[in-house]
Amino acid sequence: MRGLVFERNLPRFAAARVAASLAGSGRGIGVSPLRLTDLDAPELPGPGWARVRPLLAGICGSDLSTIDGRSSRYFEDIVSFPFVPGHEVVGVVEEPAAQGGPDAGTRIVVEPVLGCVARGIDPPCAACAAGHTGGCERVAFGHLAPGLQIGFCADTGGGWSAAGLVAHVSQLHPVPDALSDEDAVMVEPTACAVHAALAAGVVPGETVAVLGAGTLGLTFLAALRHLTRPGTVLAGAKHPHQRRLAAELGADVVVEPDQLTRAVRLRSRSLEASGGLTGGADVVVDCVGSAESLTECLGMVRPRGRLVLVGMPGTLRVDLAPLWHREVQLVGAYAYGTERTENGTRRTFDIAMEVVGRYELGGLVSAAYPVERFEEALAHAGAAGRRGSVKVVFDLRPKRRSRNGAAPGRVEEAIR
Amino acid sequence: MKNGSPLGKLRAPLQRARFPWAAPTWPTGMERPAPDRGVGVDYDTQWARRYPARLARAVVLDNLTRPLAHAVAAPAVIGEEMLKLAEQPVILAANHASHLDTPLLLSVLPLPMRHRTVVAAAADHFFDRRWKAHLWAGALNAIPIERHRVNRRSADMAADLLEEGWNLVIFPEGGRSPDGWLQPFRGGAAYLAVRSGRPVVPVHLSGTWRLLPKEARRLHRGRTAVRFGAPLHPDPGEDARRFGTRIAAAITTMADEADSDWWTARRRAAAGVTPPGTGPVAAPWRRAWALGPDPASTEDEDPGRWAVRVGSR
Amino acid sequence: MSPRPGFMLEVDRSTPPTLFWHGEGFHLERLPEGSRVLYGPEPLEALADPVSAIRRALFEPLGDSAPLPELLRPGMRLTIAFDDVSLPLPPMRRPDVRQLVIEQVLDVAAEAGVDDVVLIAALALHRRMTDAELRHALGDRIYEAFAPHGLLRQHDAEEPAALVLLGETDQGETVEISRRAAESDLLVYVNINLVPMDGGHKSVATGLASYRSLRHHHNARTMQHSRSFMDQEHSELHSSNWRMGRFIAASGVKVFQIETTLNTDTFPEQFRFLQRREWEWTARDRAAFVASSSALARTPPRVARTIFHAIRSPHRMTSVQAGEVEAVHARTTANVYAQQLVEVDGQTDVLTMGLPYICPYNVNSIMNPILVACLGLGYFFNMYRGRPLVRQGGVVIMSHPTPWAFSPVHHPSYIDFFEQVLSETTDPLEVGKFEESFATDPWYVHLYRTGHAYHGVHPFYMWYWCAHALEHLGGVIVVGGDRAAVRRLGFTPASTMADALEMATDVVGPGPSITHLHAPPLVMADVR
Repeated sequence: MRGLVFERNLPRFAAARVAASLAGSGRGIGVSPLRLTDLDAPELPGPGWARVRPLLAGICGSDLSTIDGRSSRYFEDIVSFPFVPGHEVVGVVEEPAAQGGPDAGTRIVVEPVLGCVARGIDPPCAACAAGHTGGCERVAFGHLAPGLQIGFCADTGGGWSAAGLVAHVSQLHPVPDALSDEDAVMVEPTACAVHAALAAGVVPGETVAVLGAGTLGLTFLAALRHLTRPGTVLAGAKHPHQRRLAAELGADVVVEPDQLTRAVRLRSRSLEASGGLTGGADVVVDCVGSAESLTECLGMVRPRGRLVLVGMPGTLRVDLAPLWHREVQLVGAYAYGTERTENGTRRTFDIAMEVVGRYELGGLVSAAYPVERFEEALAHAGAAGRRGSVKVVFDLRPKRRSRNGAAPGRVEEAIR
Repeated sequence: MKNGSPLGKLRAPLQRARFPWAAPTWPTGMERPAPDRGVGVDYDTQWARRYPARLARAVVLDNLTRPLAHAVAAPAVIGEEMLKLAEQPVILAANHASHLDTPLLLSVLPLPMRHRTVVAAAADHFFDRRWKAHLWAGALNAIPIERHRVNRRSADMAADLLEEGWNLVIFPEGGRSPDGWLQPFRGGAAYLAVRSGRPVVPVHLSGTWRLLPKEARRLHRGRTAVRFGAPLHPDPGEDARRFGTRIAAAITTMADEADSDWWTARRRAAAGVTPPGTGPVAAPWRRAWALGPDPASTEDEDPGRWAVRVGSR
Repeated sequence: MSPRPGFMLEVDRSTPPTLFWHGEGFHLERLPEGSRVLYGPEPLEALADPVSAIRRALFEPLGDSAPLPELLRPGMRLTIAFDDVSLPLPPMRRPDVRQLVIEQVLDVAAEAGVDDVVLIAALALHRRMTDAELRHALGDRIYEAFAPHGLLRQHDAEEPAALVLLGETDQGETVEISRRAAESDLLVYVNINLVPMDGGHKSVATGLASYRSLRHHHNARTMQHSRSFMDQEHSELHSSNWRMGRFIAASGVKVFQIETTLNTDTFPEQFRFLQRREWEWTARDRAAFVASSSALARTPPRVARTIFHAIRSPHRMTSVQAGEVEAVHARTTANVYAQQLVEVDGQTDVLTMGLPYICPYNVNSIMNPILVACLGLGYFFNMYRGRPLVRQGGVVIMSHPTPWAFSPVHHPSYIDFFEQVLSETTDPLEVGKFEESFATDPWYVHLYRTGHAYHGVHPFYMWYWCAHALEHLGGVIVVGGDRAAVRRLGFTPASTMADALEMATDVVGPGPSITHLHAPPLVMADVR
């Protein structure tokens, strides 16, 4: 079965980095270590594991970073080569687990984080015990190869392969029939957004500014509206379709990214000094993760406010004097686990499914490609904003039937 | 800056440099005498009057300063013949309105006087740091003079130099005029004249204040005039005070001459009605107003048919 | 040869193409047969000896006022206020009229022994002038006598200690002006009356006032009821200012008003063709036109802007009068009309105008889209007496590149107004909802007081200036402008004049009457 595999090959890694910086994100595929090849289905690591056949598998910003060679070297120890990428997966259970879990044929979404439970480590680490699997301390240990998530682990396979993947029963979430496949593939990114929205700790009535309106930014806006009661929400979006979607998903003020500071200034009635505002928004969310975006965000958060870093950063050169001088809290937000809400303790994925259903976030899936056309898919994903798209996915469904019933082999574009 | 970088590699040996490569530190408990600062009136300007320094200064004065002064200030020199009437060395007492005064005056003096002149400069302004002291002593042949207090040392030095045959340029006002009008004159020039017996040539410089006033940010080009008056000798038994008044009167008359003309100035001087030159007793704006319009300013902007002026004044 | 009066030209087949201004550039357009073109009167003779004329005005005042020397005595407090950089347009060659007048006033003051003198640039809510602009307007002699001592000031409408509340008129209008001006023994105002809107009581009541005072007449309602604001008899703007001015006089503030008028000799030698009638262009004029327009087409906008803003106009003083405000202003208005007014028969369906690179609010700066609208629909549209040149429901076509460009130094609040207020609504009555927050925003206040920025509320005033036109017209089309910017303003973009006229017929019907306003130089229509 055909699938994509990412191998350890330093010269190619470096070459991909150069190619991506010259030609753009996702364009260095030809020289990168990513290959299309025949793959066997991975072995089940244990009785608690099930085999999953993917229907749709999303392309995430972190995947693009890895392929472009831009990801931080921090991840080297918690990734094992060769791995099949793809951690945003909606699939069907092909072979149920020996012990418990959903039956064969159930449509599920995969929660990719490989925590202590999945790795068969007992007793679990403090983070897993508390339900924060994203913070698991043992992602490089246990009877599985190191890997923070399915899609970065040599033993589990991943979403970008027709051969499928294996997942622990704790990682399988059945999908209600009301959600379409496209809705379901958005659940994992939305879960990141939900977790970030709760980590932001928005007090009712606060001003929130969101910089970046790709998948992360847009799902964040939806989660923010669903879970918190902010005062004014401002969004900075580069492309017209993003601005339209941001407004639909609940942003009160939508402007271009370089105008966001001005808009925040006007709303908060602050003054300007030292290249930023003297006052600013209560919470600022960076959904981009670059040095420029972080600097921009530091300039628009109020003293003692919170800056939530949701977009995955690398090694950045940022002047932290504003952070120190204005006592800003810099909060990282990664992945998901369980959340404490006013309705009790719930798993992030459950909340995410609610948000996806309420806002019909499946409409953000702009294009679906077969795995064989991975170069086009990744180039599209890398240039999604410029090309009027939001989320690009791989379509591994057998009959390739989409919502508009296009013929097999063709790319379906479904922009809302 | 990491230690591997080129600058980092240079730092380490420099920071490690020890005696005898670097200056020694004094042991605790050893008494260290107060360092001789050698600035202000204590600065010894003798080196600037030795041949090598004199030669270099003469070259610069004749080939650089003079042409520049003529290009920037276009001085009209009046009364040059008065300089021949007095036996050298003389004391040149001038009014002071601008930093341009000294180079301009030196530029218009005839040879060989030009190269045999020292300039009395304020010790607290021109000699307060060693590098400044070196600079002005070398470039202008300046000697430090204490202007706020009576200082034995600077007076002695000036008198010695006069005796050795050096002409002395001194500004009795003590400092530059803040608003273009004359300030009260101090007694230094008169005292030195009485003590050394040399004549005083009164000098009036007009127009320098418009080119480079006090606290100016840029230099303008324009016209100036340098007037030399008849040399004044102290009468036998005349004290410095009375003589000082005569010097001030002479300079004030020349100021009147610069404003009106020679004959009007002479008549007014004879009648004793020379305007005092210190300006009206009024608000600063009226003092500035009374100076009158700048005759050299080009007020009308008509750049001509095809000129396109980009940028405004 | 005495200057010829203005007139309305009927375009026929032998009429050469007409000159249209287009921001930092100009081109020739062939107007359809039957169109009319309004040409202003030729420039009147300037005064041969302006200094004597000024002295005579000071010594022989109009109205109920003593000559200036009698009003001055030692120990008094004298304040001299003068019009800011928004006048004249384009900036004059040296010596500026203000320099000539104020030098004479100071001569008289010096003779009288007045020590306490302060000069104030009457900015109202305009931007502060730079040192170079002050030197240009006042001359070096005045600048160097007053500026180093802090006696050359710029009106600060946001410093409570520098303002004094005089009270309210009988219509409830707050009158709050500069404290220094109000508490002086004599306030001399030096005015340049470029258009009939300027001068009179407006000089002090607006120029030295605060936001609290200005809001009573700088609002959409007042502007809609000013038909036009160039005609003080029919202008709500002027009625309000007159009430305030009379109240100020009644409160004991003694004002000695000096007003001057200029001729319309607007352009220097190399651009002389811009004020000549096209059929009277000599070979030199034609060569100059071809050379400049083709050079400008190849010039980057920034350079073109620098070139144009360096133009110093040769216009000169045609009259000067001094004394009591209303008497002086009556004479001044008559003189302005004598230079600029042209009788016009009937209105038109479509009014076209080419907008130049400069308006009162972008001297040495960028003309942003809001200022384009203000210049066209505010100033040029309102240069009428009687009835507007264009009929109710008619269309105005303006020619200007309308770049989406703003000066962040001079017009910071305009950027926010354009991005965040106009995107919501372009109705002058509706935008008023946001006025308070812009007017009191602390950052804009800071930039107004310490930088060179127009006050936070100023873009609103620009929009209110268009209120009468927006209410009166059926449509506004901009030719050759940035499409997104034009749409944001609520107008329709067109690429060529022909397209614009086509679009206009959709609004006014087929075969419309077209009139082109050939300005600058300034011309005012007296429409019967």
